[in-house]
Amino acid sequence: MVPAESPRVLVVEDEFLIRILVADHLRDAGFTVIEAFNADEAIAILTAGVAIDLVFTDVRMPGAVDGIALLEFVKRTRPDVPVLITSGHLEPARAYAGGATLFLPNPCDPDMITRALRSALETAP
Amino acid sequence: MSDPTDAPGIEEAVLVVDGDIISRHAIADYLRHCGYAVVEAASTDEAMTALAEASLGIDVILCDVAAIGAQSAFDLAQWVRNNRPGLEVRLAGNVDIAVRTAADLCETGPHLRRPYEPQAVMDYIKQLRAARERA
Repeated sequence: MVPAESPRVLVVEDEFLIRILVADHLRDAGFTVIEAFNADEAIAILTAGVAIDLVFTDVRMPGAVDGIALLEFVKRTRPDVPVLITSGHLEPARAYAGGATLFLPNPCDPDMITRALRSALETAP
Repeated sequence: MSDPTDAPGIEEAVLVVDGDIISRHAIADYLRHCGYAVVEAASTDEAMTALAEASLGIDVILCDVAAIGAQSAFDLAQWVRNNRPGLEVRLAGNVDIAVRTAADLCETGPHLRRPYEPQAVMDYIKQLRAARERA
């Protein structure tokens, strides 16, 4: 495969049109994007060893686990990877308690997501 | 050799429908490197949503026959035949066929040569699946 030279972000969102809107916006901004329909898919791609620099995830999604469980999985298996959580329901404190790098209220402007991801990359260990 | 004037424009869009994120990601990535705009659908339900969005301008559908959703892949293909007769549907019975189909699309795609060999896509998928199995 051609190695990605741009930051690789895993976007996890079950709302199809939101996911492709965010993914397209991030691609236009220079990110390489891997799209996951839910946290189960995200864990599958992480378990397969795909290189990921950032995770951007919703919380409430269909499947066996939610975005908080995904956050815990990433912190356990790839502690250096920043995780940005977005939700319209979750208390931000819950995301930060789980180790989230940043919480963004949902819905969120794609430009704000792009800026937040860049900022998270710059401050990542 | 194909006539370059027959080559699709840079905006030609492929809708990849596959419930397996590993193969969907690898095939979508390959098609993007070929110059296509790619829309990824994890199910036939998402595919139907994509088809309802005229702004996405889907030109070709590459669908795994085992795609999950309220409709089967065959139902989706039938719906397209009945409602979007100009839209091409390629059904793939397994991942090898899906990769070969993607390679065929690359042959006629916006770029005049493949970015890398389709075997590299198959190897990548096998490598990721093996890693997932081991975990």
